[in-house]
Amino acid sequence: MQFLLICLLFITTTSFADDSTKQATDIITEMEKLYRGNASRSTLTMTIQTPNFERHLTMTGESMGQDYGFFRILSPKKDRGIATLKREKEMWNYFPKINKVIKVPPSMMTGSWMGSDFTNDDLLRESELVEAYDLELEETDTQYVIMLTPREDTVTVWGKIEYVVDKKEMLPLSQTFYNERGVKIRVMKFGEITQFEGVRLPSSITVTPLNKQGHSTAIVYDNLDFDPDNISEQTFTLRNLKSRF
Amino acid sequence: MMLFKLAFRNILRQRRRSLLTGLTIVGGFVLCTFTFSLVEGAWGNAVDFYTLDSIGHIQVHWADYERKPKVHKTINDRRLVEQTFSANDDVQAFAPRVYSPALAYAGTKTIPVTVIGVDPDLEAKVSRLKEKTKIGQYYNNAHMRTAMIGAGIAKSLAIDVGDEIALISQGADGSIANDLYPVTAIVGNKSSTDSRVVYLSLTTAQEFLSLGESVHEYVLLVRAPNDNEVVAKALETALHLKIPEITVSPWQVIDETFYRTMQSDKRANRFILGILIFIIFIGVLNTVLMSVLERTREFGVIRAIGSRPSTIVQLIFIETMMLTTLCLLVSIILLVPILAWLVNVGFSLPEPVDLGGMTFSQIRGGVTPLALLAPVAYIYSFTVLVTILPAIRAASVTPKTAMGSH
Repeated sequence: MQFLLICLLFITTTSFADDSTKQATDIITEMEKLYRGNASRSTLTMTIQTPNFERHLTMTGESMGQDYGFFRILSPKKDRGIATLKREKEMWNYFPKINKVIKVPPSMMTGSWMGSDFTNDDLLRESELVEAYDLELEETDTQYVIMLTPREDTVTVWGKIEYVVDKKEMLPLSQTFYNERGVKIRVMKFGEITQFEGVRLPSSITVTPLNKQGHSTAIVYDNLDFDPDNISEQTFTLRNLKSRF
Repeated sequence: MMLFKLAFRNILRQRRRSLLTGLTIVGGFVLCTFTFSLVEGAWGNAVDFYTLDSIGHIQVHWADYERKPKVHKTINDRRLVEQTFSANDDVQAFAPRVYSPALAYAGTKTIPVTVIGVDPDLEAKVSRLKEKTKIGQYYNNAHMRTAMIGAGIAKSLAIDVGDEIALISQGADGSIANDLYPVTAIVGNKSSTDSRVVYLSLTTAQEFLSLGESVHEYVLLVRAPNDNEVVAKALETALHLKIPEITVSPWQVIDETFYRTMQSDKRANRFILGILIFIIFIGVLNTVLMSVLERTREFGVIRAIGSRPSTIVQLIFIETMMLTTLCLLVSIILLVPILAWLVNVGFSLPEPVDLGGMTFSQIRGGVTPLALLAPVAYIYSFTVLVTILPAIRAASVTPKTAMGSH
């Protein structure tokens, strides 16, 4: 009888843990799909703030599923036409002035994108969070707090990521990134909820590196279309990357 | 006066011995001065080559740019800084520069390079860039949108004058600086310090790096290169009144390793010459001791008639000093033509040596205060040193002992 009770307790605990992990996985998957849908086209403004300069970029972004992404800078004039393409595990930058396509090696995925505080990985989301991290869900009255810990075989610079989601809106509030020693390195905050094609989304994402005083980068979605007609695999080719526009 | 007469007479008493001793001192002094001059000249040439090649006598930067270069650490108020340079009569010429690391592309090849923006006219006054432009043409105006590349880049990327080079770097505003430039000249050779440098005109480099009118560095030449540290201090004082963040550094600070190496080599040279002179003066010591020994009875008589021991010490000191001074006068007469030849003609190298695009075929000496005064100081110091023992010995002789000696 005592043995049966222990078994029951173990099964119940495991079952609760499985449910909790599944719920966390569902929440993260939903959050990650928010801006992407099956396919999307967006116009964004990026503002890079440092103690030495402030810089504004406008760009278009296109994505299809998890594997395809394409960004092209529209302004300022000096940078117009610089583009970034991601296909599955590969990524390239194109510089029209010198007509040069440069492949971004995997080791540079955590490097800065165009001098901003966003990494190449942030922009193109090579890492599928639910596949690369173990998830642990905690709940408060208003928030889901999901702690993501990298799996043994995951290559990442982060020791853990704290992902906070608003329970009521089911929208992301923040992501806090820690290094391997558990020190907070940067914070990504989501704000200004806006309706895009009937979908309510935070239209601004601000990244603040905590180890670089006075630095921050904000992206504001000016426009976001889900499942536009003319996006296909052909959009995400090297030929299209080099095309004049 | 009587002691001087006695000393002079004593020198002439054993003329052959005095002549031999004198020849030893003359030989040592001439050799010492010649070596000092050669070392000073060789290092002087090296410093001239080094400073005129690129680093100048003085450099001016914003704050700690020299130690921790960042593209945004720029000197913005150029007019004020340049006015300060112009107001200082010791400044011969100055030139602004901008710097950035970059990636250079040509065809499928890529190499890391340093981009340096220079004002073509001003740069020609502070460095040998124009002389090192071996192939192609040096900038003929300040706004040419072309590149002059180091010979190492031309070889690595397999490009020549007339080809194009693509550069990618980071702009001061955080942008990705990227542009394409036709190559109009190749600078130096593979061993040049700037073999991996892409030179752009100042305005082109400023545009490439989004720097506006700002610059990273001023390079200055001063009229008296040996006084560069004094001029640097004066400029720093003047500039700090207007812009406290400005840093003024003499080349000795800019390349401390080179400076310390030079100083160590000079110290080692001084030490070796000191040992050489010491060995020569062991012979002189022997001569003075012999002279004292021979005159023991004479010193006994001098003491017996009432002279004090200090008088005998003075006499011996005056004798050796007089002999040394006579030798130095003869040495100087010999040294004038030798140094004139060493400084103006020097040794011809069997094969001219190419150092970073500049050809050297002669090794010449240098006439500096150190080269002239250090050997004199050595000779007099050792003269005093080798005279102490015989002088004490002579002074401590009692009349009774002296009279009993043979």
